[in-house]
Amino acid sequence: MTTVLVAEDEPLMRERLLDMLAAAWPEARVVLVAENGNDAWDGFLEHEPEVAFLDIRMPGLSGLEVAGRIGKLAHVVFVTAYDQYAVDAFDAGAVDYLLKPVQAERFEKAVARIRARLDLRPADLGALLGHLKAALPGMRPERTRWLKASVGRQIRVIDVDEVLFFQSDTKYTRVVLPGFEALVRTPLKDLLSGLDPQRFWQIHRGTVVNATAIAAAERIDAERLQVSVRGCEETLTVSRTFAHLFRD
Amino acid sequence: MWRRIANWHRRWEDGYLALFARPARAQAAPGQASARYRNAALALDTLSSVERQQLHAFSLAYRGARGYALLGRLAVAFSLVGALLRLAFPATGWIAAIAAANAAGFALAFGICGAWFNYRKLVLRKWHFLARMARNALLATLLLWAIFLCFSDLSPPEILGRLPRMLAMMAGIGLMIAVPMLAVGVLRNRQHEALTAQLERDAERERLARALSESQLRLLRAQIEPHFLFNTLGAVQQLAQQGAPRAAELTADLIAFLRASLGDMRADQSSLDAEFKLVGSYLKVMQVRLGEGRLRFTLALPPALAPLRMPGMILLTLAENAIKHGIEPALRGGEIALSASVQDGVLHLRVADSGVGMGATPGSGMGLENVRHRLRLAYGDDAVLTLEDADPGVVAAIAIAHPEAVQ
Repeated sequence: MTTVLVAEDEPLMRERLLDMLAAAWPEARVVLVAENGNDAWDGFLEHEPEVAFLDIRMPGLSGLEVAGRIGKLAHVVFVTAYDQYAVDAFDAGAVDYLLKPVQAERFEKAVARIRARLDLRPADLGALLGHLKAALPGMRPERTRWLKASVGRQIRVIDVDEVLFFQSDTKYTRVVLPGFEALVRTPLKDLLSGLDPQRFWQIHRGTVVNATAIAAAERIDAERLQVSVRGCEETLTVSRTFAHLFRD
Repeated sequence: MWRRIANWHRRWEDGYLALFARPARAQAAPGQASARYRNAALALDTLSSVERQQLHAFSLAYRGARGYALLGRLAVAFSLVGALLRLAFPATGWIAAIAAANAAGFALAFGICGAWFNYRKLVLRKWHFLARMARNALLATLLLWAIFLCFSDLSPPEILGRLPRMLAMMAGIGLMIAVPMLAVGVLRNRQHEALTAQLERDAERERLARALSESQLRLLRAQIEPHFLFNTLGAVQQLAQQGAPRAAELTADLIAFLRASLGDMRADQSSLDAEFKLVGSYLKVMQVRLGEGRLRFTLALPPALAPLRMPGMILLTLAENAIKHGIEPALRGGEIALSASVQDGVLHLRVADSGVGMGATPGSGMGLENVRHRLRLAYGDDAVLTLEDADPGVVAAIAIAHPEAVQ
């Protein structure tokens, strides 16, 4: 059974995609329905579906950013409102896209294409995403510069660049800096969309580490690694999904 | 004593300068000197505004000492010419030669000055002008001849015999003055016509540019985003397929929105009531699409303000911005509050959202630029649009000082 993720922010459009999916591909199992990009990515890490239907414009991470993070881990189908630039870019790339409002016939075709490709390696989206990001203005994400965290009764303002790593703690996020740590009232999945992925590497569903603070990575077993951080005693586990970050 | 004369002179100059600048105002001004000014103003009225402006600029440049210095220099120059004449024709007396040269010179200078600033009348009625010049020459000759008759010790027949010569001399002097005046007049008139034509072309170009930008604005207003239409139709389709009664409701809101926004293409003006209804139907459509959890909204329009006129689609643009840059990018959605109120005669329109705030999703600013432009067209400087960061979200506020004076 193929596992599928559906991410779409408008409820009726979401229902529409699910209805069509149920009709066109009864064997697919929808493991996650996300209402925004942050949930889509977090849910992707949790469920590791084989296929992802991604709306492009969503709150939090955009569909393009989620696809960029998914990389070659799943087959992606974009769902987009009409946008000539985007359509040109899709046509140039190897990725399928559905124009909103999605019509059943077109959806069936997309499903057929995906099913034919399921056994192949998913396409690499790197070049396409580069094109798309340049073509879609106003989709450049806003980066978080400062974090407000409560430490006891004090509110501390933290410069994001000084953070060694973030660790998910259910509804909160543990923020570790040299010499002290604090709790932020935002879940890690929502902090993630404000962090520069070049600087802050996600190494686990629940861990994001400042790349400049990484001292070394060492192998634990065939699949997992662990990372030691400068200025901190703790070691952080790298999950299988992110092990490629440390492959040379 | 000298100071008093200087002061009086300065006031006299100021009076005329003001008159050249704005004859209409001087005509209306009360006061003892106003009768004299009024006559001058009536005369100035026959000048074109370009001529009057040039006269004003000239008078301003040569006011006071500079003007007298110029007159002095001219007098010296004319006297030199007179002296040369005396040397050429030793028969005349020194004083007569210098006086005649000054008289002819100043007549020429003032004549050209007059032609320079009043060329239109001169060229328009050049035969009238020439006839007047001829008449004046004749009169001057007769006057001169009469003086001669009284004071000369020549016999009357001899004096009578001199008449043709004197007439010829006067005609020569008259021509010497009239021809340069006419030449200057014709030249200046040609310049003036070229300038007028240029100004007319500029005005025409400006008018065209404005008409173009207005039609572009109309197009912009009429533009309904294809995203909006497609996505809303998708939502209608989904509701219809589910057999949900909300399908009919959403369709009704979409129809109300389309009717109001397409209808607005025809009329520039709308009422606050119609604008609030338009925004209301738009927000209802968006609420169905985004879900009530993600969009809540309130509209507050006091009944007394409902009939007030205002340019159409402005509030809708602000509401669309609030959705696009505030609510849609927000993970938890938010609220939009649209309100109208009057304080001290100033109309305040507010579109407040509790979304992600400014800077999170930079737009092109086209929508806001359009709103500012339309407010300027309708209210001039009386309307101000401001955007402020609120916590959370953004408040877009329009203040209109004389809302009843919409154009």
